[in-house]
Amino acid sequence: MKISTKGRYGLRAMIDLAIHSNGEFVSLGSIARRQNISLNYLEHAFSALKKAGFVTGMSGSGGGYMLAEDPASITVQMILYVLEGDLSVVDRIPLKAETPLQALLRQQLWEPINANVKEVIAMTTLKDMAEEYKKMNKL
Amino acid sequence: MKISTKGRYALEALTYMASLEKDTPVNIREIADQTGIPLKYLEQIFFRLRKSGILVAKRGPSGGFLLNPALPQITVGDVVRAVETDIKPVVCLKSREHCESGIYDTCVTRLLWKRISDAVESVLDGVTLQSLGDAYKEKKS
Repeated sequence: MKISTKGRYGLRAMIDLAIHSNGEFVSLGSIARRQNISLNYLEHAFSALKKAGFVTGMSGSGGGYMLAEDPASITVQMILYVLEGDLSVVDRIPLKAETPLQALLRQQLWEPINANVKEVIAMTTLKDMAEEYKKMNKL
Repeated sequence: MKISTKGRYALEALTYMASLEKDTPVNIREIADQTGIPLKYLEQIFFRLRKSGILVAKRGPSGGFLLNPALPQITVGDVVRAVETDIKPVVCLKSREHCESGIYDTCVTRLLWKRISDAVESVLDGVTLQSLGDAYKEKKS
């Protein structure tokens, strides 16, 4: 039941990027400084986010990353899927191998939990997170 | 974000027990046979469930385990918390001291993790073993 540092720090960095990019490349170093996150973690997360098409990167001086899409169209679910993979609460048992007890728990517990979690992360966009961030940090 | 095999086995075993006659102790071998859970593993899990008061052990020839009759409303959340080391998706939900970045008060992602955690725990805390046991009994008949 853990969200890894990749997911935690990667999401914070995406929020930071949404706020500070304004159509320009933002260096990972500046995100790392503002967010007090080690650069190593960010490099790891951003190579995955770039591969998934959520950010574009440019190397060299003046380089960095910017969002490849409108933050209102990127959900937290999409970002966490790239950084964390499947967030379902239990590993799936193949239906054929499932006992009647396991099927019952899937129907009564695991599916409702996954649906609940999905509702939270699919309904929250990067734009929502950035606006909440600005409010909390009085930006 | 996973509930481990230990948590799942605990719930399978206790759901099976909750589907049976309440006052009759159940032999752990029977539970292992009926659920397919390895006996050795089940013994470890039951040790923890006994320690946390969810199960009581009855000695003697017709002895075995009982769901603690003093706790009629045991929830899935009680069971999962008894056997899993930690069910919070991030440590900073436990206390401010666990924040690794020194931004506790202005961290929006912590609020998101809290909403996710609440989404999980509201289901865990809203389902009782009794309701699972009843549903299983119905399914079998």
